[in-house]
Amino acid sequence: MPPLILNSADPLHWAVGGAGIALVTIVLLFVMNRRLGISTGFEDICSLVIRTGYFNRASLFDARRWRLPFLAGLVLGGVISAVTTGGWEPTWALGMLDEALALGPAGKLAWMFVGGLFIGFGTRLAGGCTSGHGIFGMSNFEMPSVVSTVSFMAGGIVTTQLLYRVVLP
Amino acid sequence: MTTILSLVLGTMFGWLLSRSGAADYNYIQQMFLFESFQLYGIIGTAVAVTAPAVWLMKRRGRTMSGAPLDVAPKPAHRGNVVGGLLFGVGWSICGMCPGPVLVNIGEGKLYAIAALAGALVGTAVFGRLYDVLQRPLRLPPMQVGTGEG
Repeated sequence: MPPLILNSADPLHWAVGGAGIALVTIVLLFVMNRRLGISTGFEDICSLVIRTGYFNRASLFDARRWRLPFLAGLVLGGVISAVTTGGWEPTWALGMLDEALALGPAGKLAWMFVGGLFIGFGTRLAGGCTSGHGIFGMSNFEMPSVVSTVSFMAGGIVTTQLLYRVVLP
Repeated sequence: MTTILSLVLGTMFGWLLSRSGAADYNYIQQMFLFESFQLYGIIGTAVAVTAPAVWLMKRRGRTMSGAPLDVAPKPAHRGNVVGGLLFGVGWSICGMCPGPVLVNIGEGKLYAIAALAGALVGTAVFGRLYDVLQRPLRLPPMQVGTGEG
């Protein structure tokens, strides 16, 4: 398997990664009575600043108690991963995109901000992301999650295929 | 207690996403190019292990502490398709879905901060447009939302 961009580390076997993710999902439900889902965390963060309308909902305030620390853990998990694979160091490295399109730091920030707009708007319109729909919803055989997962896989496949097979080569 | 356990689970989840390739730009593109099995294997395994566990827990009907289990299914609406497609475009552009946006920031990938900024602005715009989108996309009442997750 090719190395990760991060410190050129060897990735875990997919079965180990998948089983670990399942374990976190199961403990979250069994112990904390919460269904896995990350993208509502964007609403949690928005609700700290915007206190009206869509961001002033009781369900949001209730879930913030577990989701905000969980989001902090995601950042911490990334730090630990970097430290334990050769050291933490700020980087602009972007793998295949660096080879296909030599963007500077400003270009990468703009690229990522635009992509981020799609991520934020899209996940909240769909009511979930890869974790909430793709892992939890699919595991619970929920039809909206199956529909959403097929849709975001399709959106990603078409975009990447266009980018790397048509636009950038 | 909630805070500490959530932080620990989030840290485990973040480390797993980082070390498995789920937060790696190249592995995401290679998934969408059908050049790598890694991400399909991760998501497939996660679902294959979680599904029977969720089924057993629902049969038991209670959490570890004995409280009634809360797995209310998400609402169905047209946003599932439209939002899903838009999110897919963003996932491809950034090479990150929401969890990995935060994981990449932790790893020291500076550009991921812009992805988070974009995602928060995108979320804020969505919230502001909820009233407008509600009828054409058959979204649930605002208090319910599109689905938590």
